[in-house]
Amino acid sequence: MSLLSIRDLSLSFRGIHGVTEVLHGIALDIAPGEKVALVGESGSGKSVTARIVLGLLQELAAARIDGEVRFGGEDMRGFSRQQFAANRGTEISMIFQDPTSSLNPTFIIERQFAEVIRRRNPGASREDCLRIAGEALAETAIPDVERVLASYPFQLSGGMNQRVMIAMALVNKPKLLIADEPGTALDVTVQAQTLQLMRQLTDEHQAAVFFISHNLGVVREFADRVYVIYRGRIVEDGPTEAIFADPRHAYTRALMAAVPRITGMGLPDIPERSDSFDAPQISHEGGS
Amino acid sequence: MSQLVGILVRRIGISVVVLIGVSMLIFAIARIIPGDPARIALGPNATAEQIAKLRGEMHLDENIVIQYGFFIKDLVSGDLGTSLYTNRPVTLDIAQFLPATLELVFLAGVIMVGLGLPLGILAARFRNKWPDHLVRALALLTVSAPSFVWAVILMLLCAYYLPLFPIAGRLSDIYEIERVTGFLTIDTLIAGNVAAFLDVWHHLILPAVALALSGIGQAARLTRANMVETYEKPYIEMAQAYGFFPHRIARIYAFKPSLIPSLTIIGLDFAAMLGNAFLVEAVFAWPGLSRYGVNVILRKDLNAIMGTVLIIALTFLIVNIIVDLLIAVLNPRIRHSTRVQS
Ligand SMILES: Nc1ncnc2c1ncn2[C@@H]1O[C@H](COP(=O)(O)OP(=O)(O)OP(=O)(O)O)[C@@H](O)[C@H]1O
Ligand SMILES: [Mg+2]
Repeated sequence: MSLLSIRDLSLSFRGIHGVTEVLHGIALDIAPGEKVALVGESGSGKSVTARIVLGLLQELAAARIDGEVRFGGEDMRGFSRQQFAANRGTEISMIFQDPTSSLNPTFIIERQFAEVIRRRNPGASREDCLRIAGEALAETAIPDVERVLASYPFQLSGGMNQRVMIAMALVNKPKLLIADEPGTALDVTVQAQTLQLMRQLTDEHQAAVFFISHNLGVVREFADRVYVIYRGRIVEDGPTEAIFADPRHAYTRALMAAVPRITGMGLPDIPERSDSFDAPQISHEGGS
Repeated sequence: MSQLVGILVRRIGISVVVLIGVSMLIFAIARIIPGDPARIALGPNATAEQIAKLRGEMHLDENIVIQYGFFIKDLVSGDLGTSLYTNRPVTLDIAQFLPATLELVFLAGVIMVGLGLPLGILAARFRNKWPDHLVRALALLTVSAPSFVWAVILMLLCAYYLPLFPIAGRLSDIYEIERVTGFLTIDTLIAGNVAAFLDVWHHLILPAVALALSGIGQAARLTRANMVETYEKPYIEMAQAYGFFPHRIARIYAFKPSLIPSLTIIGLDFAAMLGNAFLVEAVFAWPGLSRYGVNVILRKDLNAIMGTVLIIALTFLIVNIIVDLLIAVLNPRIRHSTRVQS
């Protein structure tokens, strides 16, 4: 059974210039412990999908959401605000693009960690939080845990903050970790290290990962399965091997042809639009 | 900690320079405005010798630089000279009138911060919903009129037509309170007179609210604006994605980063209340420094003018120092500026 199952999800925003359609009925599944990537160019609708899974976009009056989102078998349609919020930080957690700006600059790490831990254990004392946070940070191979906990984010390097974010994301043993272009704000070697760490720890915790990325090179190494999204539609999906060995959709092929050779920071421009990009979705067999 | 001491020392140094500058400026201006202070003080029937004698005592015939030298020499020994208006040492006059003004301004400041910030937080938390619209409308209303206008309006509404509050003064005549600190809220407590204590508050509330009103609006608008900006920050999205309670995000995680840029301006607003207090005091016949200040200026009472201006400048500077220290305490980037680790 899927941990996360999305069917026919569509999204539009009401604005001053009328309605903009952003998602046109996408379907996506993530099994427990599976690493699934969503790849597509800027503005294709990756982050909004993540925000819907978290129930954050549902709070926005201008957003109109249709379709089915099931998490752990439960249909999230008709969830109240409290029900959406209940999963956040407990069953579902998130890692962001820039770890340093994702941490509050005016509070020390300990304070922010404690707030996260208390999402799961509301009654945890300061000592409990310190101990739990210390253990979580130690897993990320941070050398000086006490110093890190007592620091403000700006006193730590980007790589350190990334480890802090990963530790926070996993401390409550979530079933699903959403990583929205994690670490793309960091330099390439640090990015590679943290992806390695994220893979290792999510394996140990048996957490599923919903991995959003621009970077096909990283996706190929990290994900079990891939969804390619183009302008709010899934154009191709399947096991990572299958897609990379045999990209069938014109858009996927264009994406791959454009992958920069060595480091692969970000998605390069795909110069032409082509009608063939709008061809129907292609699903590879196998995987889940 | 050492950063705080450093900031304090630097600020005090700057303040001393500012005070010297202010004293020179006012010293010169007070002497340039027309009228002979000795003649005004002695009245129309004074003889030429009497006037000449007083001018001599006041060093008025000396070069202005030498006059300033005499002033500084006395100031260093804590002597601001004698007021020609009250015939008492200026220091004594200030000690009598300043506490009334400070009591009013302090309370107004507390009201401004105590209402303005929470209203701003409320508006930002429910931005573009009805609590926000309400707060913004009220804030706009309060900042649209200066405090002396509010003083008149509040006095008419709440003291004249609806006699809920006394119209004038600090304390009803029936109470005899020994002045210890000059702050009647404290002196009545020292005297152990609860009825008088309540009476003091009864007199304080209306002028303090009038003085605070536009500050409340300012503080609310500023807090809202800075918080709305903060709400766009990734660390707030992070807090939401982790399910932190919305009221905790508002009160703690969005408020603190927003308070830092607001504080400087709130501090300036607070200091500006010292000036506005002059007019509010006039409306409520508040026996504070304003009435004294206006009278000594009209009489060209040189020593008293200097004393009044200096004490107001000093209060202004002290408020600024406190605000700077608060910002340093709240903003870890300032406190830890020399301890950044890689
Ligand atoms: N709150 C909103 N109001 C209106 N339009 C929005 C809103 N949020 C997102 N959009 C629009 O939805 C589309 C998809 O945005 P989304 O952030 O999901 O893109 P993305 O795939 O994550 O791109 P990127 O790789 O640049 O992060 C964009 O065209 C964006 O302008
Ligand atoms: Mg995005």
